[in-house]
Amino acid sequence: MRVYILKRVLGIVPTILMITLVVFVMMRSVPGDPVVALLGDAYTQEDAVKARQVYGLDEPMLVQYGIWLGKLVQGDWGASILTGRPVLQDVLVRLPVTLELIVLSMAVALAIAIPAAIIGALRQNTWADYAATTVAMIGVSIPEFFIGVLLLLVFSIGLGGLLPSSGWVYLPGTCPMMVCGVSFWGNVQHVLLPALALGVGRAALLTRLLRASMLEVIRTEYVTTARAKGLGERPIVLKHALKNALIPTVTVMGLQVGFLIGGAIVVETLFAMPGLGTFGIDAIIARDYQQVQGFALLTAFAFVVINLLVDLTYTFLDPRIRYA
Amino acid sequence: MKPISGGSVREAELAGVAEVTRPAAATRSETPLAQAVRRLRRSATALVGAGIVAVLLVVAIFADALAPQSPITSDQMQTFARPSWEHPLGTDQLGRDMLSRVVHGTRISLLVGVSSVVLALFVGVPFGMIAGYYGGRVDTSIMRVMDLILAFPIYLLAIILMIIFTPTAGLIGTMKVTGAIAIVRIPIYARLVRGSVLSIKEKEYIEACRALGVRDPWILFRHVLPNCLAPIIVTTTLGIATSIIVEATLSFLGLGTQPPTPSWGWDLKANVAFIQANFWLSLFPGLAIFLTVLGFNLFGDGLRDALDPRLK
Repeated sequence: MRVYILKRVLGIVPTILMITLVVFVMMRSVPGDPVVALLGDAYTQEDAVKARQVYGLDEPMLVQYGIWLGKLVQGDWGASILTGRPVLQDVLVRLPVTLELIVLSMAVALAIAIPAAIIGALRQNTWADYAATTVAMIGVSIPEFFIGVLLLLVFSIGLGGLLPSSGWVYLPGTCPMMVCGVSFWGNVQHVLLPALALGVGRAALLTRLLRASMLEVIRTEYVTTARAKGLGERPIVLKHALKNALIPTVTVMGLQVGFLIGGAIVVETLFAMPGLGTFGIDAIIARDYQQVQGFALLTAFAFVVINLLVDLTYTFLDPRIRYA
Repeated sequence: MKPISGGSVREAELAGVAEVTRPAAATRSETPLAQAVRRLRRSATALVGAGIVAVLLVVAIFADALAPQSPITSDQMQTFARPSWEHPLGTDQLGRDMLSRVVHGTRISLLVGVSSVVLALFVGVPFGMIAGYYGGRVDTSIMRVMDLILAFPIYLLAIILMIIFTPTAGLIGTMKVTGAIAIVRIPIYARLVRGSVLSIKEKEYIEACRALGVRDPWILFRHVLPNCLAPIIVTTTLGIATSIIVEATLSFLGLGTQPPTPSWGWDLKANVAFIQANFWLSLFPGLAIFLTVLGFNLFGDGLRDALDPRLK
């Protein structure tokens, strides 16, 4: 097991290198470059050449990537071409916002999906099941940003501005800058709608998957055996059925991480949150190479680590699965 | 020697013994296809989904006739008009009729949704078949590239592709979005087909084809492909729903088809700024996206149940 984890952790490195390299090459094949944006409209060719030299943009692409990588292993993520700020600093400022959003939205998804799927599976073909499956079908068909808009309409506009429609207040203890808005209640108010917007869609997907695999599992012999030996319904459902039904669900949720990252970009844009999603999309649109690299690095890292965690969850859910 | 050209020759040979086989055929149960169609027609979800999709197709094809006004002509005297007989869904900040924009938006959404999936199919399926059928080095090199694409978070790749293509308006802009979405979806089909082919190629009937000297392309298209169609069809239908969401999301981020071409995602985003006073402007494009995705999802679910009851 330890060897397996070690192998997988080492396997992360080439994947991240590959993703960051491809992003590096792709960004530099985008028409136009950041120097033009930096110098504004009135610039001479000379200025542009000089600026490119300063930022090392005149080197061959692979050399540039090598330089970026070399600095990275020393902990230097480079500096933004447009703002001059260190990328690492910007990323760290925005990381807590996105982390909180994603963790809470997953919590929302699980809190809705697990009970809904259990009820749907145990009471198959009753009104409760139909209600759960219908709501889940609707849920998977609404894009995150439209759920967000509906939530905005109800809670920010409809209910007399009960919850704020944009901005961010940090949780006490997470403020990464010298000054920032810090308040527990303020944070809850600001994170509630985005977390719901991102979580509801995941909840719907999770409900569908989990209900289907629960239906399969509760017909297996070991569940019958558990019933025959007189176990109560609760341990049967929670310990025997749910745990086994989670395996295919976890797999698909792992594959969904790519969509979750897109969802974070969209929801942060809609609610004007200072998170990594808005950071990434702004950087890509502005062609701020260094910022994009930082964003790609972090995204790739999150992506592969979550997929690794998914694989490791299997051994917990089903002890028969062992990695040699 | 002339190679035996697959099915037709053997069917011709079988025709000679028709008298022997016919009675058995008469009592034989219906074909899998007929079973699937019967199950599909009994499924309420599939019918509702098919109904929604059919209506949307009609709207998309006859958008010019159905839309009361031009979706791009602005009327500065009529900005932010409330819903009325003249403008059933109101007008936006440029005084454009919202109903007409929503109606015309159907085109972009369906066009991108369907054509990106078809494009991904046309590239992904042959690659998957070749990789699975030939195995070895061919398999490794094709799947390496596919895994490289799959290793990306889908939106990161789609967004950067759109930046490279530079979003524009009109048909060209729509084609760019289609291309970007198709690229990120190719590996899904390649993987799916490769998996099916791996098991199908070991079957006796494929071995029989080889023994008869049937050429590889014919085996692949005539004998392997039809047997892995069911999961392809289901994934395609559900994939259209996903592609429509991705298109709407790219548009929402400002990276889809550019204005003045009407696109639901863009319209929704543009009007969120005015949501306080004109909530319906964001509501209708959003509802349109929802309805379209719901239609394809329902139809895909019904198809899956009909084509392969085991997948349920």
